[in-house]
This record gives sequence, structure tokens and C-alpha cells, in this order.
Amino acid sequence: MSRFIKLIAMTAITIIALSSITYASERVAVQADEPVYEVLSPWAGVDPIPVRGLSARIDSISGKKIGLFANFKRAARPIMAEVEKRLKERFPDVETFLFDSTLPNVTETETVNKEKFTAWAKGVDAVIAAVGD
Amino acid sequence: MPGVRALGTTILCESTDAENISKGIDEVFDEIIAALTRPLTDDEKNPKINTITEPKIAFKGTYDQINEFYYRKGWGDGLPLVPPTQARVDEMMKGTDLAPDHVVVKIIPRMGKATIEKIAINAVMAGALPTHMPVLIAAVEAVTDPGTRFDTFEVSTGSWAPLLIINGPIRNDIHINCSSGMMSPGNIANSAIGRALGLIVKNIGGARKGIEDMGTLGDPLKYSLVIGENEEGSPWEPLHVEFGYKKAQSTVTVMFPNRYTQTIPAQTTAQGVAETLAGMNPIALSTLIVIPDHAKIFSKEGWSKERVKEFIIQGAKESNNLRPGRLKDEDFAIVVAGGPGVWMGLLASAGGFGNSFITREIRLPKNWDGLKTKYGTMVPVYLKY
Repeated sequence: MSRFIKLIAMTAITIIALSSITYASERVAVQADEPVYEVLSPWAGVDPIPVRGLSARIDSISGKKIGLFANFKRAARPIMAEVEKRLKERFPDVETFLFDSTLPNVTETETVNKEKFTAWAKGVDAVIAAVGD
Repeated sequence: MPGVRALGTTILCESTDAENISKGIDEVFDEIIAALTRPLTDDEKNPKINTITEPKIAFKGTYDQINEFYYRKGWGDGLPLVPPTQARVDEMMKGTDLAPDHVVVKIIPRMGKATIEKIAINAVMAGALPTHMPVLIAAVEAVTDPGTRFDTFEVSTGSWAPLLIINGPIRNDIHINCSSGMMSPGNIANSAIGRALGLIVKNIGGARKGIEDMGTLGDPLKYSLVIGENEEGSPWEPLHVEFGYKKAQSTVTVMFPNRYTQTIPAQTTAQGVAETLAGMNPIALSTLIVIPDHAKIFSKEGWSKERVKEFIIQGAKESNNLRPGRLKDEDFAIVVAGGPGVWMGLLASAGGFGNSFITREIRLPKNWDGLKTKYGTMVPVYLKY
């Protein structure tokens, strides 16, 4: 009989312990009479945006025309100057062409310098851009 | 174009330190060369976009569970949210005649569609009333107008916050505080409209703190910065009339300051107040807040708003302006607002980005009178002691 009572007691203790673990694992326990709400998502949908792949790479820097795009913020120009210096040191026959952006966060083709930018982009083999922010 | 070959460096933000820049480039120069010459992978040739969609019903739970869920999703602003149930959202949408699926604008950077329903959901979360929806819709239109340079200011390291200046009869309809403590917490309209706008740009536009929103320090004004012009206390024409609207029209005007200062005039004469206003150095783009008492001093001594502005322009130093050139009339606005007292305020943004004050008319639904009756009594009544 005493073994039976011990078994019942152990089972009860185990059940209570498991319940406590379950309770403790919920940060916010639900009270029996607490209202439950179904709520809507504030996250907006987006229309599919067509994507395209990256432009093909160049086989090497030697003999190439490299555009250096400085994005308006003040570190961009000195960064491009350092890049240009190193390019010319390592690849003496490289040509570099700097372009300073017109306005921050505005695509160049939407600025007054659209034609100048387009001509610059068409005239180089590859571009390195610096975000000086 | 996803998957652009981008390299991080150890160069400090806007660094002017030649050694820091040189070292930073040294560390990544080989990677720069590799990025230009290493052949493209299949994914880079044919990228696929992972479009994240959320179900219409986001969650089911108690008030606390909802708040925890939304906070963990990054949909909140750190304060408790009002659960956006369908019933609450339907009620909120009574504040406009536009259809729930009408797209007001697409908001960067995700180009999320700001439908009337999504605006309403975020408005409910912020604790706004249906009578605030017309202002919110106009504010979303104004904020996202390219002229505000929202694309720059929303995500800038400068932590710029949208200032909404409300003009016209709607101020009194929905109890926009234009007087004492207008920028302090305590008025539902001033607080909830601004808060809702913050949730909208975050949850619809998708600007995440530290990922797209790179504000270095952050800005408490991002919680809400909504004021009404104290047109009744002003001897001058209100801001929206200055901008070409009729006095009877209601409008919202937007700019993005990140600096707010207050001061008091050395002398309470027109000259003294003008000198102090000029001394606050309103650069392009700024809003000067002149209290009604000072506006009346100006008027009594024959100073129009134009004369005050001209005085400030004449005294402005070109070197203080953040953009090239002297301060111009369109670079700053004077708004008469605030309560009795002696303080004046300056909210300063930055010019030179092609930005300007943008104003939009607030359009009311057909049942506006009914909404005003239902929600018009929502004003605090302090205990007497």
C-alpha cells in the first residue's frame, strides 16, 4: 500500500512539475477570462520587381578604362583617390575616370547630369563606386 | 539588381582621416580587383528575389501576446500597441471615402503599397482615431513627395524626423494642439498622428533600424512631431495661405528637421525679438516658431511676416548655411504657434538636397460631420485640485 501511495505521489509531483515548466516557458500566460483578438498585419505587400543579373566581369584590369563613382558624401572622393592611386601602381596602363554624384540618394539618370553620367558610364569598362557615408 | 558585389571596409563614416582611408583601402584592394574580374556565379547572372508576404491575419492572442508578437516582428516602436482587429480597422477606415485597397503611394525602400487598409491598421496600432485618417493620408502623400527628400532623410545617419504642420479648420475639428505644450505628450491628435506615421514608414516602407534606417543617435522626435499653427492667435496670414491655399482649406506641411532649440529674446520689442530669431541661425531648411504674443508685438510695431523674414535674411551669414549661397525666403518658414510665454523655437533641417516644404490638402469624407460628433469629445478634462 505504501508503495502504491508513493507511486501516486511521484506521479502527481511529476505532473505538477511538467505543468510548471509549460507555464514558465510561456512569457505571457493566458488567464481563463482574458479576451483573445484576431489582428491584422501592418506589413505591406509589394509588386514584383523585375530583376536582372550583374554585368559581365572584365578579364583583367590591365589596359582597361575604370570608372570611379564618388557618391556625394565627403569620404567618397578621398576613397576614390586612394583606389585610383593603387590601381595605377599595380596596373600602369589602366585609365581612370572619376564621376562625382550630383545629389545624394538620387539616381544620376534622374538629375540634370543625366547625359554627362550616361556618357561617362558608356565610356568605361567597369566601375568602382564609393559610399562615403 | 540584387547581389551587387559590395565590400565593407574599416573606413569610418564620412571619414576625413587620410590614414584611416588609406588603411581601409589597403585591406580590401585585392577584393576590389577580384570583384571586378572574378567570373559571375549562376545566381549573379540570374538572381531570384525572395518576396516576403505576410498573411492578412497576423496573429491571434491576448493583448499582451499580440504586443509581444508584434514587437518581436519589428512592427512596433517600443510602446504598447492597440491591437488592430478587423472591427477597429473598419472603423478607422470610416475616416476616408477611399476604398480599402486604394494605393495612396508606394513607400521606399521596399516600395510597400500604402493602401488605405494598411494605413488604417498602423493608425489603429498607434492609438489614432478615425478623424485622424484624413490628416494621415495627406501626410503620407506629403512625406513621400520627392520634394521632401524623404528618400534621404528617412534612412540618413542624421536621424531626421518628419515635422507635420497642420493648418485650417481641421485643427479645431480634431483638437490638434496649437497652443501650450503642443509638442509635449498629452494630446491624442498630435501624438497619435505622428506615431502612426512612424509605424507606416516602418511597416509599409520597410525601413528597419540599423539596416536601412542608419540613424546614428536616433531622434525622440521620430515618435511624433505634429503641431498646428495658432491661426486664431496670429495677426498674420497662416502658412498654408502663404503657400497658396485658401484659409478655409485644411493642409499638412512637411519638412524633416533633426534639431530643435528654444530660446528667449533679449528684448521683447519687435527689433529685439527679430534679432533673437535671426540669432537662432535658421539655415536652409528651417521652421521658426513664433508665439502669438511675439507675433502681436511685431504686428503692433508694424512688422509683417515678410519684414521679419527679410530682417533674418539680411543678417544671415552665408558661411552658416549648410548649402552654398545666402539664405533665401523659401529656405525657412515662420509659424505662429505655442501658448503664452516668452520662448521661441527653431526646428532645423539641412538644405542643399533639392528639398523644400511640401504641402498637401487634407480631404474629408462625406460623413465628416458624423465623425466629428462621435469623436469630437475626446479631450482631456483635468481633475481640479
